[in-house]
Formats: sequence, C-alpha cells, structure tokens
Amino acid sequence: MRLYSVRYLFSEGVKNVWKNRMMSIASVGVLIICFILTGVFTLLSISIKNTLKSIESRNTIKVFLKDQVETEEAVNLESKLHEIDNVASCRFYSREEAQEKYKEQLGDIYEQMKERNFLPHSYYVTLKDLSQYKETVAEIKELPEVDIISSRVELFDKLTKFNRFISSVGLVLTLVLALIALFIITNTIRLTMYSRRQEISIMKSVGATNTFIRIPFIIEGMVIGIFSAIVASFSLNVFYNFIVESVRKNISFFYTPVLHNLVFYLLVYFTIAGIVFGVIGGGLSIRKYLSKGVYGK
Amino acid sequence: MIRFEDVSKVYPNGTVALEHINLHVKKGEFVFVVGSSGSGKSTFLKSITREETPTSGKIFIADEDISKLPKTKVPFLRRKMGIVFQDFRLIKNMNVFDNVAFAMRATGASEKEIKNRVPYILALVGLACKEKSMPTQLSGGEQQRVGLSRALVNNPKLIIADEPTGNIDPRMSYEILELLNEINKMGTTILMVTHEQELVRKFGKRVVEIKNGKIVQAAA
Repeated sequence: MRLYSVRYLFSEGVKNVWKNRMMSIASVGVLIICFILTGVFTLLSISIKNTLKSIESRNTIKVFLKDQVETEEAVNLESKLHEIDNVASCRFYSREEAQEKYKEQLGDIYEQMKERNFLPHSYYVTLKDLSQYKETVAEIKELPEVDIISSRVELFDKLTKFNRFISSVGLVLTLVLALIALFIITNTIRLTMYSRRQEISIMKSVGATNTFIRIPFIIEGMVIGIFSAIVASFSLNVFYNFIVESVRKNISFFYTPVLHNLVFYLLVYFTIAGIVFGVIGGGLSIRKYLSKGVYGK
Repeated sequence: MIRFEDVSKVYPNGTVALEHINLHVKKGEFVFVVGSSGSGKSTFLKSITREETPTSGKIFIADEDISKLPKTKVPFLRRKMGIVFQDFRLIKNMNVFDNVAFAMRATGASEKEIKNRVPYILALVGLACKEKSMPTQLSGGEQQRVGLSRALVNNPKLIIADEPTGNIDPRMSYEILELLNEINKMGTTILMVTHEQELVRKFGKRVVEIKNGKIVQAAA
C-alpha cells in the first residue's frame, strides 16, 4: 500500500474515534479497568512468588525447646542436632539471652520476667541443602525436646495456596473482562460503521477493496486499545509503587520487589493486547457490512 | 463491452429473475434499458456489477468472464465501471469536491492526482464553481451531476446509470442526458435504466426492454 493511502486510512480511523466519542470513552474506560485488574493480579502473583523465593533462600530456622527442658539438656541437644544430615551448624540461645535480645520489645514485662522467665531455650539452625527444607524441619520436630519450629513451612504453604488462588481468580476475571472489553469495542466500531454505511456502500461501488474499507475501523479499534494501554500502564505503575512503599513499612516478610522499568513492560504488554483487541474488534464488526451489496439494500 | 451469453438467474426462493438472456453491448454504445419494476431489470444490473452471479450462462465485461470471478477480484472489476444512482448517494457531511475525491481516495489515489483530476471533472459537468458547496445546498440536477462526476472520476470504460433522472425535474433530466451523451461521445459506453419514455424517444438510442426476465426488444 502506498504511503498516502496509509496516511489517509490512518486519519480516517482516528476521525472515527472522535466522531463516536461517547462510545469511544466507554470502550476506553472498560478497557482500562480490564487492564488494571489484570495487571494487579499479575503483579500480586509475581510478588507472592518472589516472597516464596526469599523465604526459601533463608536457610536459618529457629527451633524452640519445650518449656520443661533444663539448660543442661538443652546444651546437650546440640550434638543431636548435628547428627541430622542436613544441619550445617547450630547456635544455642538460652532463655536469658533471648530475654536480653527482646528487652526492648518486652518493655514492662521485662522486669516481671526477672522472677520467672517464660521464654524457651532455642537454637538457630542453619541448613546445608534448602531443597530438603521440609524433610529436615520434620526430622528436627521429632526430637523429644523440641516444641515448635518457627520454620516457614506453614507460611510457605499458605502463600503457595494463596498464590494459586490469586492466579486462578485473576485468570478467570481477566478472561471475563477481556470478553466484555471485546464486546464493547465491537459495538463501538459497529456504531461508527452504521453511521458510515452509506460511505461503505459507495466505496464498494467504486471498487475499494475489502481490506481498504476495513482498515479505518481496525485503526479505530487500535487507537482505543493503545490509548487505554497507555493510561492503564501509568496508573498501574503509580499504584504499584505506592503499594510497595506501604508494604515495606508494614509487613517485613512480604518481599515486594521494586520492578524496574515496570511502566515500560506494562506499556509493551498492554499495547500488544490493545492492538489485538482492536484488530479483532474491528475485524468482527465489519463482516456484516462487507457482505452487503453496492446498492446497500 | 458487455456480453450476456444465455444467462439465467433463479433466486433460492424460486423466483426466476432472468431467463436465457443474450445481449451484446459494443464498446462506445449508448443503451437505454427499460422495463417495469419486477421485470428483472435490477438483477440484470446487479449481474453486471457482480453483486449477483448467474445461475447459468456467462457474462463478459471487457472480454473478461465475470461469472466465475473470485471475490477478491470484484473490486477491480468495479473500477472499470462508474455507477450513477437514482438517489444520488452523496455523503451529506462532505462538500462537492470531497464527494468526488472520495471515489479516488477509496481506490488509493494520491492527493496530487486528486487535486488535478477532480476540478477537471467538475468543470466537465459544469460545477467548477460549486467545489465547496455542500450537497444540501444544491438542486437535484446539480446533485446528480456530482454523482455523475464521482462515477466518472476514476475514468471508467462503462457508466451504469440506474434511473439517474428519476428524482429530478424534467428540464434537469434533459441536461443530465445531454451530459451523458457528451461523455458517450468521448468513448465511454453507457447503460442507462429509465422509465421515461419521452427521453428515450428524444435521444433515439438503442433500447433494451426487459419483461418477465426476458429481453423482448433489443433493437433501436
């Protein structure tokens, strides 16, 4: 196709968006919501996955001993712990050490605890092989002196389940929203087409090819898609950075990475999606009009 | 230019629109097509513009058999002809120039070509000073001249005029016919459908009458 035709068809497409602006705004709105929700779910899923990774990479677990275990017994446990294959090293923390460590957080209770220290003895155990994390934790738990292990197995499991939940909800929601968005775009373009039905029939009568007739409407869809993608990308970027900041301050274990160039990736993905939406929407809506004759009746 | 070889058209509902039509319109001819509504006239025209395909028989336009033309080639067939409609079919929110230019843009002409060609055609039909007018500001006769310009602008070998004078007053009708006659003299084949016996008699061209799907009179 020659350059002047491209320019002409492109300007016709943009004109269509403007001519039919109320419906265009509605389409853009729905598409933005669709993009943002999809983005939120994807980012949430990414964050959870990263959190899971960071939990895995911390190879230290805390082993709390039962209350009635005396200091001597507790110290002797060290050799037992070393017998477990996957244990690289362990360090003993007596209840007194623990008390000192948590002095600040304990506040008033600290004074009362001088009489009766209810903190348990504990060990910090470092593992050799992280892939056997769960097995090792279970093995340590079998020792009679061991009460609870603040391993992160439970958290890990919960987060994994949550992630699966988020992913499936996100997927379903995205699909539903995508269908709605497609429906709205198709109808928007159909309205433009209706207002241009006479032009279409004249174009056919003078021998315009179907592709030529179709292009402005596909461009109309693409303009709507790309515009929505840009707005959605920037809003989501701002929103995500805001969330990351507040999560950092409040929940220490939840690992929210700063995703560099987030806005760039969002733009790329959303724009591709927007173009796909536009092309499908434009293509779907014109079929009916192209099958009509020159006489248009 | 146009050749029908034993063309029949039966619609799926059983209506027989055309029955064994044989017709030859030579290059440069001016032919009137007459016939009451429901005679098969519309189907005849639609067969030429390849909106309908015949049930049997062959149709040749400029020596090309169009009865088996693939869909993708249809637009290029239509570029060989210009169609003039009874109801003008002008785009209301475009001025005269753009209405004519539209036919060129739709077939991928450059703005430079358009700037050269459109004023020339408008001058030919006597509308040189109306370039910027909107269709609603024009009389019926003037609107049809815009319609004619649009049909002519891509330089077709064949003009199909479907009752071009049906919506305009008699004096203007005569002007349109004069114009068509001028265009015919420049070598363009013209096929004009009309109801107006008087015009047909006055211009004394070849007349093709269609009745019940058959050609009943193909002489001058």
